[in-house]
Amino acid sequence: MKQKADVLQGTLALMVLKTLDVLGPQHGYGIARRIEQISRDVLAVNQGTLYPVLLKLEQEGAIASEWGASQNNRRARFYRLTREGRKQLQVETQDWEQTAAIIGRFFEVKAEDLS
Amino acid sequence: MSSLRRFLTRLLNSATRRAQDERLREEIEGHIALQTEENLRAGLSPVEARRQAMLKFGGVEGVKQDYRAERGLPLIEDLFQDLPYALRMLRKSPGFTAVAVLTLALGVGANTAIFSFIDAVLLRSIPVKDPQQLFVFNWSVRANPKLQGHSDYGDCADQTDIGGCSFSIPFYKTVRAQAGAFSGMAAFAGPFGVDLSGNGAASIVRGLYVSGDFFPTLCVGTFIGRPLTPSDDSPSAPPAIVLNYDYWVRAFGAAPSVVGRTVRLDSTTVTIVGVADPHFTNLTPGKPLDFFMPFSVADSVRGKWYRSKDRVADATYWWVVILGRLKPGLSISQAQAEATTIFRNEMLYGAAPLSKPEDAPAITLRPARSGLNGETSQIAPGLYVTMVIVAFILLIACANVAGLTLARSASRQKEMAVRLALGAGRARIVRQLLTESILLACAGGALGVLVAIWGVDAIATLLSNGSGQPFPFAVAPDWRVLLFTLAITFLTGILFGLAPSLRGSRVDLTPSLKESASLLPGAAAHCGRRFRLGDALVVAQVALSMVVLVGAGLLVRTLRNLHSINPGFDAQNILLFGIVPHLAGYTDQQTQQLYANLQQRFAALPGVISVSYSEEALLSGGWSAGDVHVDSSPPKQNANTGELPVGLDFFATMHIPILAGRSFTSADFAIAAATNAAEKARDAAAAKTNPGSPSTPASASLTALDEAYYHSAPVPLIINESFARKYLANKNPIGLHMGDVERDEVRSPGPGYTIVGVVGDTKYAQLRRKTAPIIFLPLVSNSAHFELRIAANPTALVKNVREIVSQADNNLPLTDIRTQTEQIDQILFHERLMSRLSSFFAALALVLACIGLYGLLSYEVGRRTRELSIRVALGAHRRDLSRLVIGQGILLALIGAAIGIAAAVGVTRFMSAMLYDVRANDPLTTVAVAALLILVAFAACYIPARRAMKVDPMVALRYE
Repeated sequence: MKQKADVLQGTLALMVLKTLDVLGPQHGYGIARRIEQISRDVLAVNQGTLYPVLLKLEQEGAIASEWGASQNNRRARFYRLTREGRKQLQVETQDWEQTAAIIGRFFEVKAEDLS
Repeated sequence: MSSLRRFLTRLLNSATRRAQDERLREEIEGHIALQTEENLRAGLSPVEARRQAMLKFGGVEGVKQDYRAERGLPLIEDLFQDLPYALRMLRKSPGFTAVAVLTLALGVGANTAIFSFIDAVLLRSIPVKDPQQLFVFNWSVRANPKLQGHSDYGDCADQTDIGGCSFSIPFYKTVRAQAGAFSGMAAFAGPFGVDLSGNGAASIVRGLYVSGDFFPTLCVGTFIGRPLTPSDDSPSAPPAIVLNYDYWVRAFGAAPSVVGRTVRLDSTTVTIVGVADPHFTNLTPGKPLDFFMPFSVADSVRGKWYRSKDRVADATYWWVVILGRLKPGLSISQAQAEATTIFRNEMLYGAAPLSKPEDAPAITLRPARSGLNGETSQIAPGLYVTMVIVAFILLIACANVAGLTLARSASRQKEMAVRLALGAGRARIVRQLLTESILLACAGGALGVLVAIWGVDAIATLLSNGSGQPFPFAVAPDWRVLLFTLAITFLTGILFGLAPSLRGSRVDLTPSLKESASLLPGAAAHCGRRFRLGDALVVAQVALSMVVLVGAGLLVRTLRNLHSINPGFDAQNILLFGIVPHLAGYTDQQTQQLYANLQQRFAALPGVISVSYSEEALLSGGWSAGDVHVDSSPPKQNANTGELPVGLDFFATMHIPILAGRSFTSADFAIAAATNAAEKARDAAAAKTNPGSPSTPASASLTALDEAYYHSAPVPLIINESFARKYLANKNPIGLHMGDVERDEVRSPGPGYTIVGVVGDTKYAQLRRKTAPIIFLPLVSNSAHFELRIAANPTALVKNVREIVSQADNNLPLTDIRTQTEQIDQILFHERLMSRLSSFFAALALVLACIGLYGLLSYEVGRRTRELSIRVALGAHRRDLSRLVIGQGILLALIGAAIGIAAAVGVTRFMSAMLYDVRANDPLTTVAVAALLILVAFAACYIPARRAMKVDPMVALRYE
């Protein structure tokens, strides 16, 4: 069984990609708030763990970043999805849906069905 | 792909660290600021807002660390962090560093030095273009072909069946013309000693006969001038030679004017047309030469040749080595089949058939590198043994330094504990300790290279002093040697660093962080004696040095056994030197007179007891052999025996006892001279009438000469005891007649020999070979080595000897001046070298093991001071303490010795070929060596034991 930390890392990356896909270019704080809202318990605390994930995605080429101005004219780093990132998002979404479907079928199986 | 991209990005990031750190800091600041603002809007106080924001963000340092781990290459960055730290730590303990580096330098240096020799002798390829395309011709036949002569100059590997790599020149010409599988063929023979005059004093130089296409086939060029070409190798061409580069520098001062100069070889004038490429020394490893000459001069420049044979045109005289360069794309088996066909044709159906079909004459092609092994087969076994010995030394050195490192890591427990408590991973600490070890190893390796350079110099000097000529291989560091050094340095570092690093990082945190430094982990944990890493290291060292000691002991005994062999003659106080009169143009008769004259003059010198001469000096490595047929034995049953022509008074001079009959008299020499003259006259006439096959008489004058020769008196002969025992048992040998088989069967029948005396057995060419049958003949032609038995120091009379010889004839070169004992030392050279080297390394191993044992015991005493002082306080005698320490040391030494003996039994088996008269698992040697080891172990225990005895309980108990 994978450790909780690994699961968190992998799903966090996916959540970041989806967030950027839906919201468009965002800074780190914005992404964190959005993920917190949707997933509720993930990233309620330890929001700092987002930043290594953002770096990893940027090094892989899935997202790109540049300095910009946030509200209140504060300088912030904005991240956006690249074309590769969009492809990666599609692929991973498909994988997840497949996995969920298979596991779902397993959970619905009753003893009588397996005679 | 994305992971590759990640890696490359990480690599780049390592360079832009500071900018990235800035960026992260700003982002984090921004994030926390935005959260703080939101908290403010939600109604919290500014202080509380910021605090909640920071709590929600999480640990900033942790995030920064994760970010950094993600961003750069942690391994390399850690390395850059570890290196300066390791340097600092090593500088803090200079004593440890110095000893460790020195020990490692010795181990690495010794290995590199010996590997340099192995590289030069065994691994380096021949210095020509594409050496893997060159092949040596080897012949094999089931029955010995009837040859006039077969000469081997030590180029090829020893054959087990009947075979060799020498061929005749006519065969070489045939195969060169007919074989299509080779793009070029070359032949060579030698080197031979010839008399060179015209460049200062006359001297004997070594010349290699080569065919005209030798240089083109091997693609060897010249430094100045031109190489020998096929047009030089014809009888009508003016004689030309090419000098070897080193010889040109030595003898001609590297003067470019040498091209076009003439010199005299024997009595022939030759022109120097060029100097060979400096990288090309010789094809056959280990045989140095001074110049190259074409086969066309082989008739006039004979070197030490003593028979008037026509070597160039005679198909039954085999003496040249043939090489072929395979055409690209062809396979060896194709070429081999073609060569065999040509060979078969020549042997069975050629001008002079030498074999029958059932003898299956065949040719095998061997790659030039392995087929021409020259001197390497002599040197190789010793090299391998030495390599194993120095490998053991390196292992002992590693164990030594590992022990030192272990002791040092014990004093760094607190440092390790603090680092672990602060959160360092164990792997990180192990990596850092390994970095220290590898740094030590690199320092040791660098110093080791210096040691190696010095060592190679020292050994090469040893070798050339012992064998009397410069070491024939060029030992120079090349990429293979450097790669080897790097590899073993690295491996050494890991080897001695790993175990102590693993041990050092395994630390119980709480006890270590407490103040009491003497409570080191492990001491309280186990009260009984458990076998720890430190003890294991010492046992390993003792065992390894035991193996080295046993090996050295066996080699030393071998040398002593060889020295104590009775050679059959008295070797003390004999002066030897050689003279080659026919190089100065002497005929046989003149030679006889010269020898008689010289013998008289030498005998008149004060201090000279007696004088004689022989064709070869005894125990000089040179020898001749032949077959004789005793009259009374069945036909075809020949006696194979060594032959040695000697002069008057030989046996008296050498103190060889005469067991029956008499020694030679001047009358015997007269008879022998007359018979020899008749033989030479007959052979010369035969060569003139039928060159290429002197065994077929064709004219009436030849028949007359044959008759004259056949009816001349049989040559008087003296046999040795072994001959009498082996071939003439139960017969009175005096007066028996024997025939020379080669003379009678291959050429024309001769008068044979009559036995006039029997002498005691002597060794002939080698000490190691069993005493063999020898026949002694009167020396009536050819060169000679003089033996002067002198009352006192032989070398004192060398000047007088030179004077007498130059008075007799100024053009006579004197060669090989030495005493008989020096001669024996020379042929025992390899054994002496091995004995000396192995003893040196064995002493080194013993010293290292001793130091290791001393170090361990000292550390133990230091560690257990508190325990020992408590014992004293409780009533133990001082002597009990020292007994404790010594007991521990001796126990370790005994265990190590036992393991070492077992290992030695297994390992020394491989060197039994080098030993003489002592078995590989000789018990006497093993026991003696073990006793020596225990004695040395006692000495190592002494100082720690005394220190244990001096423990003061009050001081130890007070110091916490």
